[in-house]
Amino acid sequence: MSKPNIELQKFRTKRGKRLLSHLITTSLQYKLWIAFLLILILLGLIGYYRQLRYGLVVTAMRDYTSWGIYISNFVFFVAISLVGSLFSSILKLNKNLWARPLTRISEIIAVAAIICAAVIIIVDMGRPDRIFYVITHLRIQSPIIWDVIIISTYLVISILLLYISLLPDIALCRDRLTQIPNWKKALYRITAINWHNHPKQIAMLQKVNKILAISVLPVAFAIHTITSWLFATTWRPGWDSTNLGPYFVSGAFMAGAAVIIIAMYFIRKHLKLSKYITLSHFDRMGKLLVLLSLVYLYFNINEYLGPAFKMVGVEGEHITELFVGKYAPMYWFVQLGGLVLPIILLFFKPFRKPLPILIIAIFVVLGAWLKRFLIVIPSLQHPYLPIQGVDESYLHYNPTWEEWAITFSSFAWLLLIITVLIKLFPVIPIKKYKQGSETVFKQNIF
Amino acid sequence: MKSETKLICYFLEVIMAVTFIFGANTISYGQDDLQDAIVTLSFIDNNEAKIIQAKATDQDGSPIEDLELYFYVQRTFSLLPIGDFFNTTDENGIVEIPFPEDLPGAVGGHVKIVVKILESDIYNDLTLETIKNWGIPTPVDQFEEKRSLWAAAANAPITLVISVSGMILVIWFIIGYIIFILYKIGKIKSDVHSQFNEENYFKDVIESF
Amino acid sequence: MENENSKNPTRRKFLKNLSSGSALAVSGLAYFSVTSCKQASDEKTTLLTTDGKLVQVPNSEIADLNHQHLPATPEESRIGIPGKKFVMVVDLAKCKNAKKCIEACDHTHNLTPDRPYIKVLEMQDNEKSSPYWMPKKCFQCDNPPCVKVCPVGATYKRTDGIVLVDNERCIGCRFCMAACPYSARVFNWGKPPGEDESIPYSPETSLPSQIGTVGKCDFCPDMLRNNKLPHCITACPNGVIYFGDEIDDTVTNGEETVRLSTLLKEKAGYRYMEELGTEPRVYYLPPVDRLFPFEETTQENSES
Repeated sequence: MSKPNIELQKFRTKRGKRLLSHLITTSLQYKLWIAFLLILILLGLIGYYRQLRYGLVVTAMRDYTSWGIYISNFVFFVAISLVGSLFSSILKLNKNLWARPLTRISEIIAVAAIICAAVIIIVDMGRPDRIFYVITHLRIQSPIIWDVIIISTYLVISILLLYISLLPDIALCRDRLTQIPNWKKALYRITAINWHNHPKQIAMLQKVNKILAISVLPVAFAIHTITSWLFATTWRPGWDSTNLGPYFVSGAFMAGAAVIIIAMYFIRKHLKLSKYITLSHFDRMGKLLVLLSLVYLYFNINEYLGPAFKMVGVEGEHITELFVGKYAPMYWFVQLGGLVLPIILLFFKPFRKPLPILIIAIFVVLGAWLKRFLIVIPSLQHPYLPIQGVDESYLHYNPTWEEWAITFSSFAWLLLIITVLIKLFPVIPIKKYKQGSETVFKQNIF
Repeated sequence: MKSETKLICYFLEVIMAVTFIFGANTISYGQDDLQDAIVTLSFIDNNEAKIIQAKATDQDGSPIEDLELYFYVQRTFSLLPIGDFFNTTDENGIVEIPFPEDLPGAVGGHVKIVVKILESDIYNDLTLETIKNWGIPTPVDQFEEKRSLWAAAANAPITLVISVSGMILVIWFIIGYIIFILYKIGKIKSDVHSQFNEENYFKDVIESF
Repeated sequence: MENENSKNPTRRKFLKNLSSGSALAVSGLAYFSVTSCKQASDEKTTLLTTDGKLVQVPNSEIADLNHQHLPATPEESRIGIPGKKFVMVVDLAKCKNAKKCIEACDHTHNLTPDRPYIKVLEMQDNEKSSPYWMPKKCFQCDNPPCVKVCPVGATYKRTDGIVLVDNERCIGCRFCMAACPYSARVFNWGKPPGEDESIPYSPETSLPSQIGTVGKCDFCPDMLRNNKLPHCITACPNGVIYFGDEIDDTVTNGEETVRLSTLLKEKAGYRYMEELGTEPRVYYLPPVDRLFPFEETTQENSES
């Protein structure tokens, strides 16, 4: 069949053209981006091959720092994946109509993040050949098993959430797009499961939407709380805290909001969607980010004030190291540059414009990733019993190139999944609203 | 000359050999003299105390005085000494030691009591072993695994099993229901209602949620 | 020529007679020394122990190789030795950091120096008290945090009190290492060198070690099944470690056997960080009434 030609595709409205044309055309930019991601993934695969061949000794993890950036990356990905529930559940149930265009992006990011979380945890295992033992020999008493259960549940729910909201739009693509390859046509036809805007179908979909919007919320809270229990059920300074569950969950929402801002910016720019992701959206996202960051700041203060006041034993050593010791530069960058400064800056409207808020969001995300590093690694370097008689290298943790390659390739996987999903499906929901809604989108039907 | 040397050598040899043999005999002379002692044990169990009484006699039957006897109870890896530091027989050849009241035994309370003569100058070493059920019986049920957080997978605490299974069942039932509804959506056939027209579309508005 | 030859036979014969006579005498002496032994049956054999000492062992204690059982398989090792609950007491007043226990343990379990099961730590409870050496191994806790968190049941608590690791089930997640508050576990980050892959794996010997799995002190159950003490106890030259059965209420350090309850009561036995609630099975006796002052390990007194 002939090469798809955007000129031949008929769009009835400008809206349709805007939102669907990227499904047909493939720009050079896109190809370069994919190539870049594939290179990163390839480097990661080389690193992982070395790890499979020689064992985890190729990493910098040793008997004291027995968990490293794989685990902190895992926590980061689980945190990011909560953003799907933020938009599809919390904001939706509170009738925040302005957030509607962003629900698709958030659900895509949620699915991609939870897949990457599952992959990175397998990378961290010493014997990945025995991965299925967690099913055949599982012990229900273990927090890791709870995490396995809740991650698989959340993955399924996130995919369902994405799919349910996507269904009418896939049907639209199936019906209207002609200039696409046959495999894409087949894809739309199969995944649209015979949707044809029948009132019964619409009613059922509504019902399912409501059920999902309510059920995803406890699952989302549970997933990050259970991940926090991987740390809170141990006796390590910084981990042995009753505050860890809310601390993690609030941090997750904040980091997720910042990721959405970054995604918004780049999608808006490259897909030329400024009419749909407007300045107003950036403004409101900025305010949302301030709100979530304030909640996170509150939990941060709670997390550190108690131990710092008492300075008990190894907990005191750990706090000292974070505040004024080896990890102080990273710690204060994260707390001030990644948390306090964004809150202050985002109070002012000029900072809630797209470009400034993008830069602030990048700092927030960087701070979030480093914060997870600070949660996992320094605690392991302060066990109750003194570290003696071991090699100097045991006292420091400097990730090796294999670990960095694998970590960056995990980000590349995340971006690759997001990019492919955006390429295949409309990224802004093509839906209609009742009259009198807050932001008036034209009741154009494609 | 030769025969003289030969003779001297021969005599030297004999003298050396004899000296050696006698010397060896002299050294071990004392050891040969060890006698066998006979020790009889009797176990007295009155209501106040349990007592082990040992009577040492030599081979003629006469009691041995001032003989040190060592009393032990056999434990898993070694012998546990009981009694005093020195348990010496009196003029009747009798020594009594109390058996500890609180010593645990096997399941039936059995303990193996060992009495030894060790490194005595006069008598050969001797070991006597007897099994008595004077120990405190060990209860058997403590060796079964109870339900706990650290038990094997099959012995998880009941509350945990029920609550986790309950939550999994609820959420996956909801997921299953959703998938079932999706399946039903796919089954609905196209009819006149779903013909696309502006009117219908405005009427059956998808509610904002 | 002929004279020399004629002289030589005489000398040769003399020497021959002398040597045969001496041999006779020596054998006679030896015979008497053997027969004059106190007990009739104590024929001894010279053996080399795990730490390179030559010892005389009565023949009755050497098991015939044909009758030795293979160590327990992973399934068999989940069931404890019946009727026993093992316990260890470490006398901190006696430890001089001789490191013989570490050598014996490393040798038995084929360990490299970077993954020892036993660590001897220099501890000092506060600024004013004297430092002391504390040998630390797995405490085989009765409320074990490591067993609670294992997702696949690769580490388990037996009825005889021992916590073992089954390296054929371990998935290498290292949650047990994070959960243990005493840093008792070590991990095989790379391929363990020098492992004999031909012997069947047994959790009771922890041999052969496998890459990507965790290991720790196992109280040597293969020795315990034959009523023998674990290697660290017999290797210690200062009698620091006592080992025994809590059911028996007896512990021994190889030379001295005492009642466990008496020892702990009289010498104020305690468990390290009792307040964590893990209920360790290793007790410590405080370093009081020491016969020697604390010495740092220097080049001179280091025995390794």
